[in-house]
Amino acid sequence: MDSWRLLECPPARGDWNMAVDAALLERAAATGQVSLRFYAWEEPTLSLGYFQAIGGRRSHPPSNACPIVRRPTGGGAIVHDRELTYSLVMPRASKYARDASALYRLVSGSLVDALGDWGVKALLCENPPRLPAADEPFLCFQRRSGWDVLVGGAKIAGSAQRRRQGAVLGHGSVLLSRSAAAPELAGLVEVSGVAIPSAALGAAWQERLAKACRISWRLGLLDETEIELARRLVDEVYGSERWTRRR
Amino acid sequence: MKPEQLLFAKTHEWVHVAPDASGAKIATVGISAFALEALTDLVYIELPKVGREVKAGEPFGEIESVKAVSDLYSPVDGAVVAVHDALANELESLAADPYENGWIVKIKLSDETALADLLDYPAYQKQCAEEEH
Repeated sequence: MDSWRLLECPPARGDWNMAVDAALLERAAATGQVSLRFYAWEEPTLSLGYFQAIGGRRSHPPSNACPIVRRPTGGGAIVHDRELTYSLVMPRASKYARDASALYRLVSGSLVDALGDWGVKALLCENPPRLPAADEPFLCFQRRSGWDVLVGGAKIAGSAQRRRQGAVLGHGSVLLSRSAAAPELAGLVEVSGVAIPSAALGAAWQERLAKACRISWRLGLLDETEIELARRLVDEVYGSERWTRRR
Repeated sequence: MKPEQLLFAKTHEWVHVAPDASGAKIATVGISAFALEALTDLVYIELPKVGREVKAGEPFGEIESVKAVSDLYSPVDGAVVAVHDALANELESLAADPYENGWIVKIKLSDETALADLLDYPAYQKQCAEEEH
């Protein structure tokens, strides 16, 4: 049975969080290592999708005081606050990374199964409306895409990917409860009436992923190469105004 | 153009090389129909500026579909001499006509060595079949 690395990371700034995900992607392309990472945010933070214009944040006053970071991945803006955030990095050769839908299906499907442990009936979004890009809402959680996880019609988990030669990064958020910085979005507790601790959900989810992929988890740490690369990516990319304001 | 007339990179870009009026070799580059079918529902593309130097195997642009951002890799070494800027507003033409109106950039070759690493259509089809299994 293959063993994949599990990383449990403490709350950090947005630029560090994005830099670590990007570093894991770059190193996975070189080493072939699979990593699942659970992480959190030092303070409520707004992340923009790679192609989103920064001016769009003016359309969302509740998050105006939040620090901002631009993701390497697509999709809409996310207010990271009361959520479980994950990233899953795989070599491109993996059957789960072959195309975008395979990875979305794996991640969202296993989350739906895990939520069942608490009696929460979640569904995958099917046949989402196809809107012109310019008509999409600013916030990811107000958009609908295939493989989004819905509870009672509300989107409670969204994800996005970065695909490069050799490896794929999928990351995303599970809304656990409503944030003051995005009060229009209900979280799991509001839509289901069930309060699920972040760590417990992460544990159930990783168990379902292990079962689906027939692997075991090996608790690990970022290695020195990854940490050094992430530091460089904070300086040169994710912490720079040039990157954040590039659109 | 028919795919049989093209060369393909392992990263799914196609290439057609032809001389310009001065005799310089110009590579027209696009994305294969196989890759476009996998990408589905393209929403954004970022293209390089004319004059940018590119190297074989290195990214020259990016494309987003279903919230996934993918790098586009240059199959050749050279300088970008033309960019299909209109694609940004008509991304559907990429999938509708990948080998004609779906061209992305034209690159003036500075070195032809990388051409030897490209696949002809039968070899590329074989690679695609292997990726599907």
